[in-house]
Amino acid sequence: MKWGGNVNKISMLAFANIRKSKGHSVSLLIMFFIAGLLFNAGLLVLISFGGFFEKTIEELNTSSIYYVMPSNYYNMEIEEFIANNSNTLEMQKEESLWAQGIIEYRDDTRKSVFLINDADKTREMSKWKYIGEHLAPDDMSIYLPSIFHEDGGYQLNDKFEVLFGDERFSFTIKGFIEDIYFCSFELGLMGVYLPHDTYENISGKLGDTNKATVIFANLKEINKDIESHIKELTNLETLSSSSDIVNTLLSFDLSIVRLSRVMMASMVAMMIVAFAAIIVLVCLIVVRFRIGNSIEDDMTKIGSLKAMGYTSRQIILSIVLQFVLIAFAGSIIGISISYLATPMLSDVFAQQSGLKWEQGFDGRISSITLITILIFVILTAFITARRINKLHPIVALRGGIITHSFRKNHMPLNTSKGSLIIILAFKSLFQNMKQSVMIMVIIIGVTFAGTFAVIMFYNTTIDIKAFAETPGIELSNASIILRTDTDNSKLIHDIKNMNHVNKVQFIDETMVKMNNIEVRFFIMEDYSEKITNTIYEGRYPHHSNEIAIAGYLADVINKGIGESVTLKIGHSSGEFIITGLTQGAYMGGVNASMTYTGILRLNPDFKQISLQIYLNDKTNTTQFVAEIENLSSDSILSVVNIDKTMELGTGAYTSIVSKVGIGILIVTISIVMLVLYFVINSSVTRRKRELGIQKAIGFTTFQLMNQLSIGFLPPIIAGVGIGGIAGITQTNKIMSVVQRAMGIMKANYIIKPLWIVLLGITIIIISYITSMIITYRIRKISAYELISE
Amino acid sequence: MMSNVIISTNKLCKTFSNGGLQQHVLKNLDIEIYEGDFTVIMGSSGAGKSTLLYALSGMDKPTLGSIQFLDKNIELLSNDKLAVFRRLNCGFIFQQMFLLDNMSILDNILASGLLMSKNRKILTERAKELFIQVGLDENMWRKFPAQLSGGEAQRAAIVRALINQPKVVFADEPTGALNSAAGKAALDVLTGINNKGQNIIMVTHDLKSARRGNRILYMRDGVIQGICSLGKYVSGDRERHDKLQAFLSEMGW
Repeated sequence: MKWGGNVNKISMLAFANIRKSKGHSVSLLIMFFIAGLLFNAGLLVLISFGGFFEKTIEELNTSSIYYVMPSNYYNMEIEEFIANNSNTLEMQKEESLWAQGIIEYRDDTRKSVFLINDADKTREMSKWKYIGEHLAPDDMSIYLPSIFHEDGGYQLNDKFEVLFGDERFSFTIKGFIEDIYFCSFELGLMGVYLPHDTYENISGKLGDTNKATVIFANLKEINKDIESHIKELTNLETLSSSSDIVNTLLSFDLSIVRLSRVMMASMVAMMIVAFAAIIVLVCLIVVRFRIGNSIEDDMTKIGSLKAMGYTSRQIILSIVLQFVLIAFAGSIIGISISYLATPMLSDVFAQQSGLKWEQGFDGRISSITLITILIFVILTAFITARRINKLHPIVALRGGIITHSFRKNHMPLNTSKGSLIIILAFKSLFQNMKQSVMIMVIIIGVTFAGTFAVIMFYNTTIDIKAFAETPGIELSNASIILRTDTDNSKLIHDIKNMNHVNKVQFIDETMVKMNNIEVRFFIMEDYSEKITNTIYEGRYPHHSNEIAIAGYLADVINKGIGESVTLKIGHSSGEFIITGLTQGAYMGGVNASMTYTGILRLNPDFKQISLQIYLNDKTNTTQFVAEIENLSSDSILSVVNIDKTMELGTGAYTSIVSKVGIGILIVTISIVMLVLYFVINSSVTRRKRELGIQKAIGFTTFQLMNQLSIGFLPPIIAGVGIGGIAGITQTNKIMSVVQRAMGIMKANYIIKPLWIVLLGITIIIISYITSMIITYRIRKISAYELISE
Repeated sequence: MMSNVIISTNKLCKTFSNGGLQQHVLKNLDIEIYEGDFTVIMGSSGAGKSTLLYALSGMDKPTLGSIQFLDKNIELLSNDKLAVFRRLNCGFIFQQMFLLDNMSILDNILASGLLMSKNRKILTERAKELFIQVGLDENMWRKFPAQLSGGEAQRAAIVRALINQPKVVFADEPTGALNSAAGKAALDVLTGINNKGQNIIMVTHDLKSARRGNRILYMRDGVIQGICSLGKYVSGDRERHDKLQAFLSEMGW
């Protein structure tokens, strides 16, 4: 009974306080709403999206490795080797088709290698499933990965046309599907499924050269041993993606797929959660500020309550409850709305993952969000309100102990030069130093987040060079894969002398064993000719006994610059010195670089086949590639438009990050405005008498608005300055940590100080305008009213 | 010979709304304030004295009627124009002094003075002269309001009211919060400046304060019940005192 009575009293006081300060309660509620929304959305992506991906892997019994090779290379020896290998847990083989096709995609044409599967074959591993409704097949039906629907805009019963070689095939879409490996453009191989009759029809038309044998297997330990052996048995070149399907072994493992599909989502989630943490911190600072102010403003009320018999504990609890209620309401709304936001995030992530993430209510994550926010609010409120314990009722009834600071009369008016309003604004700033520091800290936080957002936006929308360099591969304009059995010198000479060609050089790739790890090596004659610098420490190799290795790989093998490693190809081996560390997400960071003369030490038969072409500025790469294709040279195996590939490849990343960046910017500005509303509104209320006196002696409303607004500018400018500098100096460091698992050891995002300065100026101008708007209410109050209050 | 009229009102009304109830505080007032006078507004509590003072000074706007202050109809001015008008023409002395707590005494004076003049040197000199005139020594100037006694703070407030050499000083119960000695000192200052030509309008319900005026307006229930004209204040003038006493008795004070 007594406990119930206590709760009633406390909640009555808490609700009365909320009613009394409606404006502040609503703005704090909005801030907690934003915090709850971002925090929950971030956690949902971080925990649930990753979990969803793993769950789908499990649901579809997805194999840990996947090999695709031309069927005519496959033989029983390979099958027996894999089946009997001690590392193999289970395996399955399937005959499919593969072909490079050109399709219409989002008002553009897109080139991709298609893995064409028979939908009626049953699989025990690496299964696929329909997403949404699917229709009964008829003649020339096709089931496409759901990304074609989600991102490409295709609908059921739409026509889907593919140009395989010179032949155009027209399918009718009868359903959308999902599998783990081949349902996005990320890996360069797109899996489609055809009803048996259609499959047979297409198989007949494409012929034997397009037949592929697909092996999926679960391994005890994922390594490259089986792949190496297949390569030895078949003499196929291993690539993770290729347009040359004739003599290629495509090899994928789940860790690389996972990296390419969910890494960006994890990165975005970390950005959102980090930003949400800043917002929660801002909310806590505002709670502390608000409680401090309300204790001073309601000093006599606290005195009366104490005199009436309320205990300090009850009064403190009522204050804590007041803010807990606001935080609870705001967070609950934010958490609820975050579930409306996840489909939008899902659509964005689907562009990369190819999986449709459907997020239902997650009680565990929502509880984590809510409880985390409430615990921090309770702690902050208790710590701030505990001074009520020391408040004697009589002292409180007399309005508390008014402490005047007579230490210094800052900027005396008789000696200080400048405008009266500015001097008064500065005097006020010095007199409210705690408040100024609070504003500065908040602005540092939001400006830092804003700077980060601007940098991300710039790098994803204006100049995507840094993003394009994320894989760490050379960004030439086009490349030609040459045949190894032809004399290519004439073709190279002709291309070099073409009008738009700036330069050509070979950058090849090959697999080399380093400490029993299969590492993809870039091979180049002269690394000084490289335009994409991936070295972040040391230098590229100059001599035949030198290599540079990826930083991620260096961590894995625990080697650094100056140390030597043994490299092996088949039975040939040699010692190489590490001269530099490179970065890049290519092959999950398991890559390295050596010179052409270096590879000849291990493989004297090594042939350079990958010719990189650098075009003069303003040359249309698509036209150039068409020109090369029309040469019909015997030397050319395939031509790749690198510009287009990069544009498509980075599209998903840049789209996600730029959207998150814009979101952070909007929230940053909103938070600045809400915090200023809080502080200035409180300030006007607390300084009503002072403002009244000033109005009485002849200050105009505009002068007072300016005096108040200018008084807030120094901490805002300082906060913007510090936050901006922190953003400029720390963003690449933070991104290095975030992207380390992707192989980016030293992020090198382009930071344009002018953009940050513009952001800073925007925050300052918005702050000033917001202050002027909030203080505009002084206009309505007459001097007489201000004084008589 | 009658002096020039500096302020006049025509059917001046002020009504406050309180919970839907209309409270008519000033009712159709037609009054005139003359150049050189020390006008005192007296009356019982709730008669509308302070409301009239703040209406005449442009601190508050009337509900109806007009106020002619020098050549301006101030009821027509916007709030900001009124602020500028007050800074040019009015000085204020309040019962609670209303000095700005967070500024030194000198800064309090200069904050008002710098609204009118940018010349800090001349303003500081003028402030110092006024400080000497009201009997505040230099040590006081650097102090903050909370470090002064009530009387000292009120004298500082008088300096602030005079720094811009206003046409009229409006004083609302200037001795109300002071002990008798401090009150007398403040009144002596006001009398002194009036003798030098400063127009003063003062609200009071204190007889000793009222004696300092040469024209007494007595208010009851929002109207002027009577006006008493006296000669300039001379200490110990019995006849003048008796005349005021008789007037107030007649008013029912």
